[in-house]
Amino acid sequence: MATTATTTTETDAAAEKTILDSLETRASELSIWELRQIEAKPKTAAGKAVDWLLRLLPLIVSLLIIAQYKFAPNFKEFKPLDKSKPTNLWVWFIGFFAAILLARVFISLFSLLENVRFRGDKNNSRWNRAILFSKRTSQKLRRNAPIYTAVFILLFAYDWATLKTGRLPQPYFPWPDAILNAMISDRVILWKSVWHSLILLFIGYSSGGLAGLVTGIAAGWSEKARYWVWPVVKVLGPIPSTTWLPIILIVASSLFGGSVFLIALGVWYPVTMTTMTGVLNIPKSNFEAARTFGATKAALIFKVAIPASSPFIFQGLTQGMSIACTALLVAEMMGVEAGLGWYINWQRGWAEFAKMYAAVIIICLTFFLVNALFSFIKKRVLRWKEGGVV
Amino acid sequence: MSERGSIEVRNLNKTFARLDSGGTLCAIEDLSLTVEPGEFVSIVGTSGCGKSTLLRVIAGLEMPTRGEVLCGGVPVTGTNPDRGLVFQEHTLFPWLTVRRNIIFALKSSKRLGANRAAVDTLIGKAGLSEFAGSYPHQLSGGMRQRASLIRSLAVSPDVLLLDEPLGALDSFTRMTLQDEIIRLWQERGNTMVLITHDVDEAVYLSQRIVVMSPRPGRVTEVVDVPMSYPRNRGSSDFTELRVKLLTALNFASEVEQEYNL
Ligand SMILES: Nc1ncnc2c1ncn2[C@@H]1O[C@H](COP(=O)(O)OP(=O)(O)OP(=O)(O)O)[C@@H](O)[C@H]1O
Ligand SMILES: [Mg+2]
Repeated sequence: MATTATTTTETDAAAEKTILDSLETRASELSIWELRQIEAKPKTAAGKAVDWLLRLLPLIVSLLIIAQYKFAPNFKEFKPLDKSKPTNLWVWFIGFFAAILLARVFISLFSLLENVRFRGDKNNSRWNRAILFSKRTSQKLRRNAPIYTAVFILLFAYDWATLKTGRLPQPYFPWPDAILNAMISDRVILWKSVWHSLILLFIGYSSGGLAGLVTGIAAGWSEKARYWVWPVVKVLGPIPSTTWLPIILIVASSLFGGSVFLIALGVWYPVTMTTMTGVLNIPKSNFEAARTFGATKAALIFKVAIPASSPFIFQGLTQGMSIACTALLVAEMMGVEAGLGWYINWQRGWAEFAKMYAAVIIICLTFFLVNALFSFIKKRVLRWKEGGVV
Repeated sequence: MSERGSIEVRNLNKTFARLDSGGTLCAIEDLSLTVEPGEFVSIVGTSGCGKSTLLRVIAGLEMPTRGEVLCGGVPVTGTNPDRGLVFQEHTLFPWLTVRRNIIFALKSSKRLGANRAAVDTLIGKAGLSEFAGSYPHQLSGGMRQRASLIRSLAVSPDVLLLDEPLGALDSFTRMTLQDEIIRLWQERGNTMVLITHDVDEAVYLSQRIVVMSPRPGRVTEVVDVPMSYPRNRGSSDFTELRVKLLTALNFASEVEQEYNL
């Protein structure tokens, strides 16, 4: 421990030590969390107070949101239409998160009891476990508190600027409660739209990715394939795939098929590029070692070339994902008569702004979840990489 | 001479195209060498004298420019799991754990069935039991080298070609592994060809030592080691052979100087 440790940190460290010792850990082997505790810088009393304030802050702001929504007067010129009267949905929604935050604060507070020891039972391991859990929760809450606070402040400000003061022009900026209600009332068609968009995205993305993988590996593997693939990639690559939309709308026999092609084309290009680069960059020794074991050509491709270039392939797949999402929305807004892009356009046509915003939020959520799933897979597949996955 | 595990190098010449200068580089010139089945042969020589190249040609990774190489009486035309090669730098696949690296080798050579049980035994012998599930970048340099070695051993090749397999190890681990190599060799009776920079290692391990001279690579001397195993590093025979080899190597490097002038 640092020589500058104050008395508080010393007692802390002592308490920490008793906890650690009493767990049935072997003396030399620390858990990852214990290691972090040891490596962490000691904190002063003032620093700790600030930490606790920060832990409470998101909860406070969320309560402020509810207070403003319930008790502040609404915008004077605002004449509620029948279907969009402010409801309690927003209170429940924010209240839900406030309740979770409250629970986490309580669990964190429990860690303050870490110096309490029961007489005759100094190494009560269940007690110690509870303290450890509480400390972990406390750390996590501290880490996430600033971003939670920022999000709640934004929601607070948005509610203020719309429902409470009308600073943002109405009815183009519906207040959050109206958006939530729109989501609920249109949930069936929204769900169908999400589903349709996801299917289109999945089919387009996977076929484009697969095609890119095939051409990329072929071009990386054989000079002859590279001779033919390279000019195609060079010419078609920099052109956004959505450029072809008008042609596809005319030529394609089905709009769905056309959109799949559009998305696939957008994914194909980056995957081909990075896969080819990846295969060309594989150290020759990898192939030579495999050959000395008698690996067949198929094994050299599937068991050596593909895994060895997988970091590059994932780079292309990541680029392809954002291209695919764009192409999906463009296709749905321009032609396909289903999906989230279509839904947005449709509601805009009817000046149903709350529903439009609901769709925007759902699009964000959907793409966020798709990307989270993608990063999860990527992390798992590339966990062999030195230094981890960025 | 057609028994499994024999090696016959006949008037081998290996010339590389030099991309930097547009010329050629003769790495091995008119080299002939015969290794009996089950024999343990070491190759020593200064850096750059074509030792690795010779091993790669025997393994079937490089084709001879002139001359031919026969293994078990059959001309070498490509790689074969019967001829294992442990590379100078470790060539473990970074995307596979130690155990999976070995299983890869067994699967590729279609020898998984009979050897699956032996995988963990081998890992244990190399002192890697705790790291069987680790990826190569999580291992130390010496551990990687050991893992490469047992990966090639797992396939049970008739001929095992070792390119400085113990180069990255501390002298103590090195000695332990040298004993382990001898034990495995005696147990399996396969042919061993070992490249080393360490004269002690060559004398301790092999039955015959081939001294090579550089540019172009040639065999300058072949020294027999008529000692029984296990050998005593302190014995007078041992020291005598060491001196003899060092003299031979010195001569070989003088040859190099002549060429350089
Ligand atoms: N693929 C290649 N292309 C061109 N030159 C090569 C190639 N491989 C080897 N050489 C050349 O052949 C010569 C012998 O190389 P080799 O790797 O066989 O040496 P070595 O005896 O194994 O040396 P060291 O003990 O340092 O490993 C060197 O001069 C090297 O530059
Ligand atoms: Mg070498």
